[in-house]
Amino acid sequence: MGALKRFRVLATSMVALLAVACGGGGGGGDETQAGPATLRFSWWGNAERAELMQKAIDLFQSKNPEIKVTPSFQEFEAYWQKMATETAGGNAPDVLQMDFAYIREYSERNALYDLKKQEGKNLELGDLLTGLKGAGEIDGKLYGVPTGGNTWGYIYDPALFAQAGVEEPKEGWTWDDYRDAMKTIAEKTGVSGGGNYVGSYYNLELQLRQEGGLLYTEDGKLGFDKARLKEFMEEGKALADGKTVLPIEKGVQIKPAFALEQKLVAGDLGWDNFMSRYAKSNPGLKLGPVPTDKAGTSGQYLKPSMLLSVSQKTEHPAAAAKLVSFMVNDPEVGKIFGANRGLPPTNAQRAAAQLEGPLAAVAAYEDALKDKFGKTPPAPPKGAGTLEQAFIRITEELQYGRITPDQAVDQFFTEAEETLGS
Amino acid sequence: MSRATIAPDRRAEVAPAGRTGPRERARLSGDGLAGYLFLSPWIIGIVLLTLGPMVTSLYLSFTDYDLFNAPTWIGLENYQRMFTDARWLRSVQVTAIYVALAVPIKLAAALAVAMLLNSKRAGQGFYRAAFYGPSLIGGSVGVAIVWKMMFSDDSVVDQVLLKFGIDTGGWAGNPDFSLMMLVLLATWQLGAPMVIFLAGLKQVPRELYEAAEVDGAGRARRFWSITLPMISPVLFFNLLLETINAFQVFTSAYVVGGPNGQPAGSTLFYTIYLFDRGFGDYRMGYASAMAWMLLLGVGLVTVFLFRTARGWVFYSGDSGDKR
Repeated sequence: MGALKRFRVLATSMVALLAVACGGGGGGGDETQAGPATLRFSWWGNAERAELMQKAIDLFQSKNPEIKVTPSFQEFEAYWQKMATETAGGNAPDVLQMDFAYIREYSERNALYDLKKQEGKNLELGDLLTGLKGAGEIDGKLYGVPTGGNTWGYIYDPALFAQAGVEEPKEGWTWDDYRDAMKTIAEKTGVSGGGNYVGSYYNLELQLRQEGGLLYTEDGKLGFDKARLKEFMEEGKALADGKTVLPIEKGVQIKPAFALEQKLVAGDLGWDNFMSRYAKSNPGLKLGPVPTDKAGTSGQYLKPSMLLSVSQKTEHPAAAAKLVSFMVNDPEVGKIFGANRGLPPTNAQRAAAQLEGPLAAVAAYEDALKDKFGKTPPAPPKGAGTLEQAFIRITEELQYGRITPDQAVDQFFTEAEETLGS
Repeated sequence: MSRATIAPDRRAEVAPAGRTGPRERARLSGDGLAGYLFLSPWIIGIVLLTLGPMVTSLYLSFTDYDLFNAPTWIGLENYQRMFTDARWLRSVQVTAIYVALAVPIKLAAALAVAMLLNSKRAGQGFYRAAFYGPSLIGGSVGVAIVWKMMFSDDSVVDQVLLKFGIDTGGWAGNPDFSLMMLVLLATWQLGAPMVIFLAGLKQVPRELYEAAEVDGAGRARRFWSITLPMISPVLFFNLLLETINAFQVFTSAYVVGGPNGQPAGSTLFYTIYLFDRGFGDYRMGYASAMAWMLLLGVGLVTVFLFRTARGWVFYSGDSGDKR
């Protein structure tokens, strides 16, 4: 009978469902007391990392049977779109992988939990490598713990250097040496001397640091002026016009692959842990010192390649902190990941990781630099991710010859003002 | 409602006890209620998934909203800023060029194929399916990736063109050709308008052609004087649909050019820029304003098309001297 009755049942159950969906409510109690909990954990990566992550999570659950972890992952760009919408919707995961470029943005938007409250209780940080200690700290609060570190280095193919009769890079080579080497190799071997030099603002950062400056100042402003950027743009333009570096139209087409991966360039400045990726198709590669005009000052630093953060809205901060602590400290986890997240962040994990081949080379590279590393810069300001994209976009137009170096500088400063100003 | 009043006995049966008046009871009873229940998926859908977000987006378009903090009202600022935003202007330009190229080329190709397939030959069914096929898969990410590879350095297209002595290099890396590459991708998916054209062509009375032939009209003459006018309503329908679709191209452009519209901003479509502003830069207010501007733009173009249609679309039953 009654359609109405059925309607009432339907309505009641829907209200009930809504109540369940919106429910939850505050956790309450002592924040440092871990009880039974289910944690949502999100990261960016690919299927390979997902497999490793699952192994680590299984291990964590077997050691902490009262905590359950439900993982999810996307690739980098999609991940940030999802995080933005989930955070806005008050539905952020308990534990999330964080990038150095975004940590200030998320912390300033009150999306992250201050892990200082868990330090020494559920979170152990004593074993972190020197450069990584405090890397997730902003204004005295701890918003992320690095799960890996890497540094800007020079990766090159010694065979091409030999073929062109160019001496391999050694400690103390200058930017002029670097440009001459690229030019000679391009002329003699037909392989481009370098990659998208002007397109990466980490190259600019390296030079600024060698000159004693910073890419972004402590108070979140640009660490360089128009004249300095123009110098960099003109240098990049000359390299592109002289066909010393890989033509931009080639670089655009091979995306998302890398030039070194496809043996299109003789060498390039970049994150050292990418060696493992390049080496799969190009095993002869070596890591060398970066060029510098100031002998003894390389400008390099240990950068957190990724961090783990806990969401401000989590109901289980203690359990979440335990998971973070496990991910950075447990030697087994270090062994599982190897260098997948960048080189392991703690001494214990580095010792356990058993790196081989190109990864051993990366570890040795960082070890040799250990005492020369400069101070890790403050977390970039809110909007740094946007500006990095703008830099890529503008330098692309520059290399296509669509804009002059002057226009490129003006465009970047206009966008920087808009992005950093608000 | 009227049905309910015809069956008062049933109304009495299900009438709930309480203060509900007779009108209320009539509405909730019997067939009326069932009707609303059957409609409810659509009503819930349109209210929650379409109207709600649209109203929200209209509100957001007048605010500065970064997804994290509460939106703050800034009036028309978002709309004003667009006209001084070089990338916005670029995206409008790219989209306009694309629409102006892709729509006519695709429609011409669809009509040509439809006319070829509108004759009685063996294997018609196979050919129709074959030409329709790309429309089923053409919008996918996979095809866009393959398309980009086909138009890269030293790949199929580059090599074939070289055989004819044309050296363009890879289109995917050349800002002068990248948009054309996407136009061709759209043209390749001519299935839907083709099927509609085919239906239209079948409706053209054979006698007209026979009479024209007797009078000595050639192929071209028959096409311009009989086929085109007779299928003009179908042509108009296709033109509208394809224009509106072309304004909203996204997936293939995103795969080929990414959020920056590579190479050198040559594939920075309006939708791509909108997406990048909203989800890349977290400027949701601005992105919402852009969405409303797009709606306005598409609306204006549609109105314009309807206006011109009076001059060239003939519906059967129209007498010639009305023109």
